Amino acid sequence: MKRFIVFAGKRVLFAVPQLLAVSVMVFFLIRLLPGDPTYMLAGPYATVERIGEVRSSLGLDQPLLTQYAGYLKRTLTGDFGVSWRTSQPVLLDIQQRLPATLELVIGAVVVSVLIGVPLGVAVAVNRGGIADRLVFVYGMLAGSLPDFWIGLLLILVFFFALQWAPPPVGQLDFGVPSPDHITGAYIVDAALSGNWEVFWSAAGNIVLPLATLVIVYMPLVLKTARSSMEEMLDARFMLQAKASGLSRWTQLRYALRNALPPVVTVTGIVCWFLLGGAVLVETIFAWGGLGQYAVESVINSDYAPIQAVVLIMAVFTTLVFLIVDIVYYLLDPRISV
Amino acid sequence: MIFGFVVIAVNLALALIGPLIAPFPVQAPVGASLTPPNATHWFGTDVSGMDIFSRVLAAPRVDLTIALVSTAVAFACGVALGVLSGFFAEGTAIARFFSGAIMRAADIFQAFPLFVFALALVGFSGPSTRNVIMALAFLNIPFFLRLTRGAVLQVRSRTFVEAAICAGNSKLRAAFVHVMPNSIAPALVHFSTTIGFSILLTAGLSFVGAGVPPPTPELGLMIKVGAQNMMTGQWWTALMPGLVLAVTVLAFSVFGDNLRVFLDPTSRR
Repeated sequence: MKRFIVFAGKRVLFAVPQLLAVSVMVFFLIRLLPGDPTYMLAGPYATVERIGEVRSSLGLDQPLLTQYAGYLKRTLTGDFGVSWRTSQPVLLDIQQRLPATLELVIGAVVVSVLIGVPLGVAVAVNRGGIADRLVFVYGMLAGSLPDFWIGLLLILVFFFALQWAPPPVGQLDFGVPSPDHITGAYIVDAALSGNWEVFWSAAGNIVLPLATLVIVYMPLVLKTARSSMEEMLDARFMLQAKASGLSRWTQLRYALRNALPPVVTVTGIVCWFLLGGAVLVETIFAWGGLGQYAVESVINSDYAPIQAVVLIMAVFTTLVFLIVDIVYYLLDPRISV
Repeated sequence: MIFGFVVIAVNLALALIGPLIAPFPVQAPVGASLTPPNATHWFGTDVSGMDIFSRVLAAPRVDLTIALVSTAVAFACGVALGVLSGFFAEGTAIARFFSGAIMRAADIFQAFPLFVFALALVGFSGPSTRNVIMALAFLNIPFFLRLTRGAVLQVRSRTFVEAAICAGNSKLRAAFVHVMPNSIAPALVHFSTTIGFSILLTAGLSFVGAGVPPPTPELGLMIKVGAQNMMTGQWWTALMPGLVLAVTVLAFSVFGDNLRVFLDPTSRR
């Protein structure tokens, strides 16, 4: 236990400089803007006074280090500036949209693991069958399927042709009121408040975007689970287990226990991919999450929100990898920081 | 292997002569809007009446060029940094510091989800072919860096490196002339996969409107234009370009995979 606390503590401490460096990167993003960022940030219809205001609020006459310190201070107090497109503080915009994205990303990770791991294990145990070949071919597709195209295909088949799915216009059917705000994720809120009409509407609407993400990103989990399980089944300790006359189930339990650490790592990587994939999928399904917000901000040259979204996604990734490392340690205490 | 090879060859050929052999002009309306596939328009026409088949033929010139150039830049920078960071991982305090700093920088870049980072880079520098290439090159450097560094760490302690230094070569010369050629294989193998991946990212960026400007014949852009029509049943508008995109990316990744197995027989199943 003491060793675990030392490990976790070290790993958390290690995340602090990482997050600082991430903030430096995001701070410098704005310097990619051609010319003087003031004109871009103040928006196309800014008055001369407004431009002066923006310039002093950005502190562009100050030394770089002072500018960064100011940026860091504002970020830590949740001040990400104002979006000129929605004329709201970016923090508020993000608070409204983040739950929708998390719902999609976390949902996709959970479903991918729930399908990918058992399927990978099953295929590893019954090697050489038809299922094995199908999974091999499907695994080859990992990383080469255009997620936005798969989403469109699903819409074509399940909305247009079969009429099973609702139109891709957001998280709820037209005319269904959003549930009482508890977490911000509609499915969770509707379930918590017992609002079943809204719950089924939200559940129906999440199926296609979720399926898109799962189809495109699950092969990573599946492939890793399969190869890691195969490796363990071939390992010496399995021979020992067999020779000792342990039951088939106990053998498989031993193998699975040792096959899990790589699966945990790849789950973190899938989270990282999903954040990017969610951007495209949200755009197709008009999901109204953080990804769609980022895209709309990029298209409209609304810079404060882009900076904030990139920062938040990088912080989220850093936290995911932190959790992955800690879970990995719990499964396999041999690693060190 | 043959599948990957053929698709890649066709892609390269189209990048060279695609716009020339296209039966219709690629950036102008040539028929009625939204004609289904028929004998004249093999893949149908899109909402503004442009011939989709001709545009698909012309697309590799845009997509493959962006992918090839960005991957080549990423490869050159990544391998050079990987050799430096790997070769000087042990040595004087200054060398170790820089070697570590390169790795930490790579860590930081990889904290950003790829597509989001690409979107932000293009968003800030402005959507243009040049900026898409720079963003993709930048994003792919860490992958080549890590692969090369890993190989260099194994090679650098071999006797021939010691011999090269004893024979009077400077450390830099030893690193780039003697160590690099012997540790470049993993990065070379990754080259093909990265091209496929870059094509995918380029299409994704164009799809959300942050890539090359319309009406360039580019696969992501064509899928974007066709997306609205997909919802009302004109399936050919986005299906065809998407299929070509998926097959192309798959070919590059299969080819990369085969190359890896070919060069490293121990990983054969």
